[in-house]
Amino acid sequence: MQRKIVSGNEALALGALRAGVKVVAGYPGTPSSEAVAFLLAKKPEGVHVEWSANEKVALEIAAGAAWAGQRSLTTMKMSGLNVAYDSLISIAYSGVNGGMVVYVADDPGVSAGMAEQDSRGFALMADLPMLEPATPAETYRLSQAAFELSQRTGSPVFLRLVTAVAHSHAALEVEEDPPPPPELPILLERDIQRYTKAGAAICMAQHRDLIARLEKAEEVIGEMGLNQLTLAQEAGGLGIIACGATAVYLEEGFERLAKLGVSPESLSVLRLSSVHPLPRQEVARLFAHCSALLVLEELEPLVERELIVEARRLGYAGRIVGKLDGPFSRIGEYGLREVVEGVAAAVGLSLPKDLLRGLAAEGQAAARPITVCAGCPHRGTYLALNRAIRLLKFKKDEVMVTGDIGCTILGMNPPFHTVWNEVSMGASLGIAQGYLAAGLKTPVIATIGDSTFFHAGLPALINAVQHQAPLTLIILDNGWTAMTGMQVNPGTAEAFQREGWQRLDLAALVPAMGVQQFFQVDPYDLKTTTETMVQAIALPGVKVILARRECSIQSKRRGLRFRRVRVLEEKCTLCKLCITTTGCPALSIGEKAVVIDPAVCVGCSLCAQVCPAKAIEKEEIG
Amino acid sequence: MNDGTAQPFDIYLVGVGGQGVLTIGEILSQAALAQEIPANFYPTKGMAQRGGFVKAQLRLGREAAGANIPERSADLVIAMERSEGLKAVRFIKLGGDFIVWDHVWAPTAVMMEQAPYPTLEHLSEQVHSAGGRFHDLHPHDLPKGLSENIFVLGVALNNTALGRLLQPDLVRAKVEERWPEAAAKNAEAFRLGLGFYR
Repeated sequence: MQRKIVSGNEALALGALRAGVKVVAGYPGTPSSEAVAFLLAKKPEGVHVEWSANEKVALEIAAGAAWAGQRSLTTMKMSGLNVAYDSLISIAYSGVNGGMVVYVADDPGVSAGMAEQDSRGFALMADLPMLEPATPAETYRLSQAAFELSQRTGSPVFLRLVTAVAHSHAALEVEEDPPPPPELPILLERDIQRYTKAGAAICMAQHRDLIARLEKAEEVIGEMGLNQLTLAQEAGGLGIIACGATAVYLEEGFERLAKLGVSPESLSVLRLSSVHPLPRQEVARLFAHCSALLVLEELEPLVERELIVEARRLGYAGRIVGKLDGPFSRIGEYGLREVVEGVAAAVGLSLPKDLLRGLAAEGQAAARPITVCAGCPHRGTYLALNRAIRLLKFKKDEVMVTGDIGCTILGMNPPFHTVWNEVSMGASLGIAQGYLAAGLKTPVIATIGDSTFFHAGLPALINAVQHQAPLTLIILDNGWTAMTGMQVNPGTAEAFQREGWQRLDLAALVPAMGVQQFFQVDPYDLKTTTETMVQAIALPGVKVILARRECSIQSKRRGLRFRRVRVLEEKCTLCKLCITTTGCPALSIGEKAVVIDPAVCVGCSLCAQVCPAKAIEKEEIG
Repeated sequence: MNDGTAQPFDIYLVGVGGQGVLTIGEILSQAALAQEIPANFYPTKGMAQRGGFVKAQLRLGREAAGANIPERSADLVIAMERSEGLKAVRFIKLGGDFIVWDHVWAPTAVMMEQAPYPTLEHLSEQVHSAGGRFHDLHPHDLPKGLSENIFVLGVALNNTALGRLLQPDLVRAKVEERWPEAAAKNAEAFRLGLGFYR
């Protein structure tokens, strides 16, 4: 064992290694991405690690491996679980042989920009156990415990982390290089009753088994001592049920409460690491001991509702303070304030008004809309698309441009204002077809990134081809799954694929899907890209433009510069059009002329291409 | 080594991508580990790109620390950009130190004079209203070519209670370990920061 600083995600990955995981498959999604990224970089002996094409595929790979008797881990963010859920429900019915852990990351407070989805609801609906740690140290422990629980119950087990835990870094004792996973026989079990859904009798028998596994899980969780119950010496006080990440604020909250006259010794606490199933024995003991309960859980009042049901069942009459009856919100993260204010509300203590409420000054901070990076090839794509729409004599608010997930959504922001909407992976294509079906006569354009296209764009494009929906699809191909921190995807250049992998070339794939109007452009070439778009948009049928150029962050990391670009001070009229049109972070206003920051510029020369005074000179390099 | 008397100490860091905000937190975490002081470091990158809002929270001295620093509770705020500093005001505690590196990283709308940008006086007033002690550092305080984040780190260690918790020599060593090839330059930035009084 070694003491080192690890993140929650790394702790999860290291815990899985220690538990003997043999197969790991995930799809990138903040805040979950580092778990697989860490393992891919580490290359642990005897462990298969991959970024899969999407979360459903990743989950199926983990399930196949677990059916074959091996331990497996699949990782995703909450939105990815929605994609994978179809298979998960079915796999839950069949159960698993090797331990299988499904890591899902939720994001209360939305620091990664998606829905505040509470994935605990999925555990309820799937009848699968779910564990949730409060710190990186607990993550390491629970990651191992989740495998044991899965193995002992034959059920896949959810491990849920929130951003604050997944991205926290703390020093802990970890085994950095555990031995390779044990050589276990590959199970080849042919059992129609278990592995198919052929008929009502089979399905209902599996449903019965599923419920039995969940009941068994409650028992095993109790044996493993995953939840900690601490009863106050005296009965009749307040009981606190702290779920997952909220528990880490208790100790600090008690310090503050002691100063306000609430004795921590008067409080009973149930720290809930198993958010599903509810440990009913511990809850019953809490009911018997406490006159009221406080529930600390972020997002939806799921445990709170279960407690109310349990209270009704057991005839508990005490107040249950939380979101349904109490001060808490279903929106945002919990912290120290919720512990202090929650206890105060439950015991009837009034607090100083500004306690733990700071001076809000952020309203006066300058807005900092995020834009694409300096040198991003798709700055050219958006500029060209805006120009093409103008050249086709349409107003911007007449042409629907649907957006998708990933960097490409930045086209919604200034200075482009190109993209109209953002739904889910691959949805740009379906939504675009919906507008066409609704009868929109002006052009409809869908925009999507390369990884997103591989993930969920393929079936939607097939649908467009079959029904000959006259849309223009622009694939903004930068060769990487970039927004989540540069992961390899099926289209990433050969040089970055691992040995034995094969790259799929979108330029070959798309025409093979029956797309007859296929174009490829280099978005650094604004003129040709614009002309191609004008031509394509005017054509009937399904048109696909592949705008291809590698992500500038990646090319810059390898030291690639395309051109030297400099401002000719005597020619610059300070019209600032380069800044207002491109919004490039490398450009700023100097005293006499626009200034290009050479440390940021990669030489894409888009600024030179939009400069009306020809005041930006470009010089090709080698 | 931690003799068990280390008081909890919370540091709230803000700035924009590319300023080394997260690096300050990482170096302090490493120093805390070496001194066996428990630490929880929670960076929020938003978009990991240059010019985007970045924040990080470092909680020292608690065995179990929630990742988020409660409002009115930070012992130290380090703001590497003026406007972003406003976002940290609600976290400064009464009597806490608020250090701003008075750099202006203007968003395009501000550059085009289409949007307002706060003055340093405004930030200072807000920090004072919140009960914090305001320290402003300026780009002219540091010779060009030296790392501002390392300089600010030095300033924080010598002008706030952080220097009583973490040993400056150890922090310097962690800076050196991280960039062995820039050791001399960083040592200079760190030295200037440590010697900086206002």
